[in-house]
Amino acid sequence: MRLRLRFSKIGKVRFVGHRDVARIIERGLRRCGVPVTYSEGFSPRVRLSFGLALPTCYESEAEYLDIPLDPESVVDGDVVCTGWREGTTNSIEQLRTALNEALPTGFEVVTLVIEPKVGPSLQESIISCTWRFDIRGGNLELVQRAIVAALESSTVEADRKKKNEILRENIRDGIYDLRADGTSELGPIVVAELSAKPRVIRPSELVEVLAPGSELGVARRTHQWIEREGARYEPLALNNSRTIKDLA
Amino acid sequence: MTSLWPRLEPLLPRVEKPARYIGCEDGARTDIYKPEATSWLLTYPDTYEIGLPNQGLQILYELLNERPDAFAERSYAPWTDLEAEMRRARLPLFSVDTHRPAAEFDIIAFNLSAELVYTNVLNCIDLAGLRVRASERDDSDPLVGAGGHCAYNPEPLADFVDFFVMGDGEEVISEITDIVGAWRVTGKPSGSRDTVLHALARIDGVYVPSMYNVVYDGPKLVSVEPRHSDVPPIIQKRTVADLADWPYPRNQLVPLTEVVHDRLNVEVFRGCTRGCRFCQAGMITRPVRERPASQIREMVSKGLERTGYDEVSLTSLSTADFSDIEKVVSDTIDEPGTCGRVSIALPSLRVDAFTVGVAAQVSRARRTGLTFAPEAGSWRMRQIINKLITEDDLYGAVRSAYSQGWHRMKLYFLTGLPSEMDDDTLGIAELVQNCVEIGQEYTKKASVTVSLGGFVPKPHTPFQWFGQNEPEELQRKVDLLRSKVRRNKRIQLKWHSPGASTAEGITSRGDRRIGRAIEYVWRRGGVFQEWSEHFDLALWQEAMNASGLSLEWYVHRHREEDEVLPWDHIHAGLHKDFLWQDWQDALAGYGLEDCRWTPCYDCGACTEYGIEHVVASPAPPNGGSQGTGQDLATGHLVPVELRPRAGIGGT
Ligand code: SF4
Repeated sequence: MRLRLRFSKIGKVRFVGHRDVARIIERGLRRCGVPVTYSEGFSPRVRLSFGLALPTCYESEAEYLDIPLDPESVVDGDVVCTGWREGTTNSIEQLRTALNEALPTGFEVVTLVIEPKVGPSLQESIISCTWRFDIRGGNLELVQRAIVAALESSTVEADRKKKNEILRENIRDGIYDLRADGTSELGPIVVAELSAKPRVIRPSELVEVLAPGSELGVARRTHQWIEREGARYEPLALNNSRTIKDLA
Repeated sequence: MTSLWPRLEPLLPRVEKPARYIGCEDGARTDIYKPEATSWLLTYPDTYEIGLPNQGLQILYELLNERPDAFAERSYAPWTDLEAEMRRARLPLFSVDTHRPAAEFDIIAFNLSAELVYTNVLNCIDLAGLRVRASERDDSDPLVGAGGHCAYNPEPLADFVDFFVMGDGEEVISEITDIVGAWRVTGKPSGSRDTVLHALARIDGVYVPSMYNVVYDGPKLVSVEPRHSDVPPIIQKRTVADLADWPYPRNQLVPLTEVVHDRLNVEVFRGCTRGCRFCQAGMITRPVRERPASQIREMVSKGLERTGYDEVSLTSLSTADFSDIEKVVSDTIDEPGTCGRVSIALPSLRVDAFTVGVAAQVSRARRTGLTFAPEAGSWRMRQIINKLITEDDLYGAVRSAYSQGWHRMKLYFLTGLPSEMDDDTLGIAELVQNCVEIGQEYTKKASVTVSLGGFVPKPHTPFQWFGQNEPEELQRKVDLLRSKVRRNKRIQLKWHSPGASTAEGITSRGDRRIGRAIEYVWRRGGVFQEWSEHFDLALWQEAMNASGLSLEWYVHRHREEDEVLPWDHIHAGLHKDFLWQDWQDALAGYGLEDCRWTPCYDCGACTEYGIEHVVASPAPPNGGSQGTGQDLATGHLVPVELRPRAGIGGT
């Protein structure tokens, strides 16, 4: 069995890097007595498997994490806790509340389920991500024009830093959706669905294309997508009553 | 209250490790702003990763935030990339808790854990938007304070810092808050800064440099004397008599980004009377004050449960000396909440106290790195420095560790010690080779990392009179050892930059005039001098020349018995004649046993203040020689002599 959870990372904590997020979550799980499993070897670590790593400085309302559980610790859909919570049994909702109390402000577990461990890992199954970001100092009209031009063309050239080189690449095939969506106090807002395979395209690469000389404002991942029988799904859909605004 | 966050946020994507600047730690207080309260900005003048775990700073942070009429926030030196962005955007130094500007606080207080951070102190004062020289600051500017081990020689920073605190801060911080609070309600009118400083100077343990005149005769220091009759001529350190009264930090900060010592840290005792003569920490923190074992147990289990850490460090200057350490370790591992998955770090282990029993207990959990500090390569040398561990003690500890499953360990040594000869340095190679051989009886993978530091004599120690080796001499000794161990693949040698030791020497035993050199280095961009990528010895040499100061005078010459030392007006409890006698004993090769388990030598640390050791066990806890019961009077085969100094005459 595994625990799959969807969590958000919003506000100041967007500056925390991916490795640090794993450590934060590990401590949170330990505080809540989640019956995690450990890797073998000289220094065993808690087994955790994340979706696509979120770059530092990005926000998200769609982070995913699979936590393999000791099968005996799931009884009637509830979790039998260990460690500091030895002797308590938590429903999914109780566990969600406990985790949210244990995690730092800015992290929130929005959904979690217990499910059998089947299928490929999260990381292998994510095909694309939807992003919402604003462009600091950009001009809405110019950005809109650049979007139209990009979508009409078969080549969109963007720079990518790779070690000490800068590569210029055509990323057009990796842009699944691209549109402007009004302005924030920083500048124009853009919504984009960008490929995760064969390589991950980041909003920062688009900024140079849409508003040369401007800077990425705050970018938020709103969805990670997986494909099942030709249709696109989220690994865990949000409860309809929750909106982006609630999360922020 | 102003938050600089909206202005800081856009800069962060441009810098390395932006999580250093966001705060948000579990345990951090963001709700404590009170417009009428006395506010402290506790500042660590090095990176967040180094500063965040500092226990002293965290203890004061909690104590101040428990007061209804005060609050404290924290700040750390921004790395050079953010500093450049901040200066370009005219953004001042800020607190990480609520991102308020530093200049809005009543007090900016620095923790001084190492001398090479001094230029960062100036940089932080400047980034706060204040004049770096205390005499040029306005009445209403924040007061700049400093404490921590390096404050025991405050003179090099005397021109920049308004007040220093000597010793344990738990009690004195309250007294300072009261006085500053009273000043604050007057609205800090013109001329009042001198009055509040004068009042602070009358608190026990507080030193206000501007209340003292310094008299020189050429390069010689003649006196440091109070300017007012009600200001004490000698500043006495503060000592907390019983740690049991101070179970802090109760809510250790849990950072969101990885820092050094990223684990639960529980202080098991304060002070150390092993009497190592090079060790300033041991001398200035006497006597030994153990925390009750029951309180440690509670702090460990509550702390682990609250933080979610799976590692705990039992901290002190020499943890294996704690009475009944084996029991404390085994109780920690047996704490049911950890599911047996807690690892225990025991920093600063004495080899004569690291027995198979302790090793076996520690190794029941995940093994942490092991570090031993024999400090010197020969028994002769170890008698001189009073690190009274025998070769057999070391081999015993190493055997305990390898037999309990460790594959590698780290051994600390010093070079440049008084009367050191090449045989002593080469003795390190022999010791280490023997350790590796012992390890190979247990595992093919056995290896040893040797860390070699250049010795810098420190104030308030018996070696304060000793002339530090020149960087060339230190480098020669490093090379000597390197050539000896190079071919052994199982030994990895690391060494501290001899140039950095020289700069540390300038700042550690300097007088007030050294402030000029510190300012010179800072003005030319010499920040983060503890970091090899930023350290530049040439800049320090240039600074000394430009300030008309002599490296030879301040660092390399041997000092004389009747000389006025720049820190003579600061009293760490130790009588100067005790230290001089201990220095003479060192040169005569006499060791001195630990006064915790043998009669008192009246060094002054207890007798001066009417306090005593708080030690649960009347005998050394772990057998071993413990530096006691040895024939300490053998002296040495080779008579001790300090290296004569060309042209200046030796001692
Ligand atoms: S006063 Fe005596 S017992 Fe106390 S630290 Fe000094 S020598 Fe030891």
